[in-house]
Amino acid sequence: MKINLVSKITRILTFVIVLHSCKKDEIEQTTAVVTNQDVINSISSNINASTYLQLKTNTADLYTASLVFVSNSTEQNLNICRDFWKAARSTWEQSEGFIYGPVATENIDPRIDTWPVNFVDLNAQINGTNQFTDTYVNNLEDALKGFHPIEFLLWGQNGTKTSDQFTPREKEYLVALTKNLNTLTSDLYDQWNASIADSYIYHFKNPSTSNPYYDNKKAVFQEIVNGMIGICDEVASGKIGEPFINADPSLEESPYAQNSMTDFRNNIKSVQNVYSGKFNADGVGLEDLVRKYNLSLDNTIKAKINTSITSLTNITDPFGTAIISQPTQVQNAITAIEDLKNTLESELLPFVNQYITD
Amino acid sequence: MNRVLIISFGLTFLILTSCKKAGSLEPIENQDWFTGGSQTVFISGSNAFSQGFPSLAGDHALNHEVGDAAFEATFVSSPAPIQQGLGPIFNNVSCVSCHISDGRGKAPETGENLMSLLIRISISGQDEHGGTVDVPLFGGQFQHRSVFGAQPEGDVNVSYAYQTLQFPDGTSYEMRKPTYSLTNTYLPLPGGVMISPRLAPPVFGLGLLEAIPDANILAKEDINDANGDGISGKANYVWNVLEKRKTLGKFGWKAGNPTLMQQTASAYLQDMGITTFIFPQEASYGQTQYDNLNDDVELSDSLLYAVTFYLKTLAVPARRNVTDPAVIRGKELFTQAQCAACHTPKQRTAVNVAFKELSNQLIFPYTDLLLHDMGDELSDNRPDHMATGNEWRTPPLWGIGLTEIVNGHGNFLHDGRARNLTEAIMWHGGEAEYSANFFKNLPTYDRNAMLKFLKSL
Repeated sequence: MKINLVSKITRILTFVIVLHSCKKDEIEQTTAVVTNQDVINSISSNINASTYLQLKTNTADLYTASLVFVSNSTEQNLNICRDFWKAARSTWEQSEGFIYGPVATENIDPRIDTWPVNFVDLNAQINGTNQFTDTYVNNLEDALKGFHPIEFLLWGQNGTKTSDQFTPREKEYLVALTKNLNTLTSDLYDQWNASIADSYIYHFKNPSTSNPYYDNKKAVFQEIVNGMIGICDEVASGKIGEPFINADPSLEESPYAQNSMTDFRNNIKSVQNVYSGKFNADGVGLEDLVRKYNLSLDNTIKAKINTSITSLTNITDPFGTAIISQPTQVQNAITAIEDLKNTLESELLPFVNQYITD
Repeated sequence: MNRVLIISFGLTFLILTSCKKAGSLEPIENQDWFTGGSQTVFISGSNAFSQGFPSLAGDHALNHEVGDAAFEATFVSSPAPIQQGLGPIFNNVSCVSCHISDGRGKAPETGENLMSLLIRISISGQDEHGGTVDVPLFGGQFQHRSVFGAQPEGDVNVSYAYQTLQFPDGTSYEMRKPTYSLTNTYLPLPGGVMISPRLAPPVFGLGLLEAIPDANILAKEDINDANGDGISGKANYVWNVLEKRKTLGKFGWKAGNPTLMQQTASAYLQDMGITTFIFPQEASYGQTQYDNLNDDVELSDSLLYAVTFYLKTLAVPARRNVTDPAVIRGKELFTQAQCAACHTPKQRTAVNVAFKELSNQLIFPYTDLLLHDMGDELSDNRPDHMATGNEWRTPPLWGIGLTEIVNGHGNFLHDGRARNLTEAIMWHGGEAEYSANFFKNLPTYDRNAMLKFLKSL
């Protein structure tokens, strides 16, 4: 009886130890894979800061190319400017899934991405005699600087502008605007540059009750997810929805370069970057946390991101035309992106609230 | 923010409360974390002020969305295919340019251009409705920007006088007092022009404030301080353009506008140069900058209604850290310091069978919507209807703890002179001097507790 009891206890203990070590292994393994802090560090550095650094580089390239075009106004040099504008635009749109922090509070977004362009004043500037000094351009109205006035200068109203159609004043304005864009995007990157003291990224990475913005890691995660939700909403109901519902191509944001469809895809790419933790380099993203606890949610989010991007790719006409010619495809894209938004809002946000407890 | 989340948060709170107060059912009156009533949103990030009422659906949801887009839309010079009508003189190009993220504006630093603060101007006297008298050829607001070819009314300059002070415990703090001046004016300014700098206030929760019955606001009026508590409280009565009579002023730093719609239309006209059916004449009419275009009204009636509806249905974020002992202590001190005498914690909106989200809501805005004498130091020395230079409408405090995350700064008071809550409190004078002194003389822990309470709002 005694022996039996001892053996029984031993067996139970062994079982408990085995169970316990399994559990411990699991915990250690997952801890080694990813912590909440790892995710915050990776998203802020590998996604947010890297995207802004690339934007700064893109706009520097655009500025340099504008200088080259002005000194040698060939069609080839104009096309190089256009390519760099598109590269900068692509990076910027990939940053719109995290439009919180300095880009909003330092008023950078309206200074680089205001739409519509103020054509009356833009033409007046071109036909006027004011010197486009750094200060003068910096003080210009938002609708006279940033991406869209540069786009208009590079492509012209119908997207058919040739290099010989540029007036000397247009060239001066182009150089001044691209320089200003580079300055503003550099300022933006500085706020995400961890080597600059007291920059925003420091607060983002170090939430605490004495942090001016984020009390705890949960608040940072909520910020990240709400950023993703925000851009889905903006693309579905604003950027695509408004021109579509009103059947009004004049509401398209980037018509001169016919870049709108690329903009939309890059916006959803932005959501994908944050979720996966991948931008130029692979890193830890939200997916690493989600799949730890809820593989099904991870699969759902990934599938819905892919469906959203595919639905945008299915719109084959330029956006201004597609809102009339491809209504089914446009509606499908809106539906897919709204569906993604709803999942992020009703499943990912509650997930964060449940599992991020520090 | 979706309904499921709100309900789950709500349940969590209820469970927490019931755990804490086992055996007793707390009256709903004490559940002040539901700051904005049933439409409170549980969000504390940078978009905390930009959430629509969670239960909006159908036409209401669409209307809110249309208004949201219009609130963000940038105006450009006429003629243009869309968004035309800017100026010819203006302070900013869109609503959101001042109310960034539906939040609070920032005061200019020395040498900086105005971004989200404007200057009201007038000369002495009263107009036929008891309001301010416009400055001839400048109007009632100083527009410092213009479309190409038009002349702005001039430049606005600010300089600050700094003073370093100490709390009894040795902690030092700094106060800065601004002096605004108007220079390079397009015409010489006449003598005796009074100027009042006004910071863009946050724009959420306005529908709930508007829904507080006049009678409830007036019940707290105590013009001659009959109860002897040193605090008066006075209603402002201002011209209601649509009703063509004076009604209770509720919006603006001196309660100079009676309704949300008139406040909105006034901002379109004065801040952006956009005419509406309420104010169909350009602010620059009669001045050299006037555009002489036969294009007024520039904003369609439906868009004005939509933007007003958007503002009316922007939800209030919930309080945070309500069970933190320091926050609870701070709340007690807030009452002891008499802050709650003007920053009335609790209000109830009127019954409105046509709009359930606004109807009969218990809300915690921390304002009585009345005018109070805030002392000489805060005075703009410019009467506005029945408000004297020293009198200001109690601003709501809900959401104040989220200002840093939403707007990246802590500029408070009508001209944004305070750079944090401590400075804001210490500027309180006049009827509120007792409160400022009470705060000043608190032990360190209690002073921080009061700040923690404010940050929980």
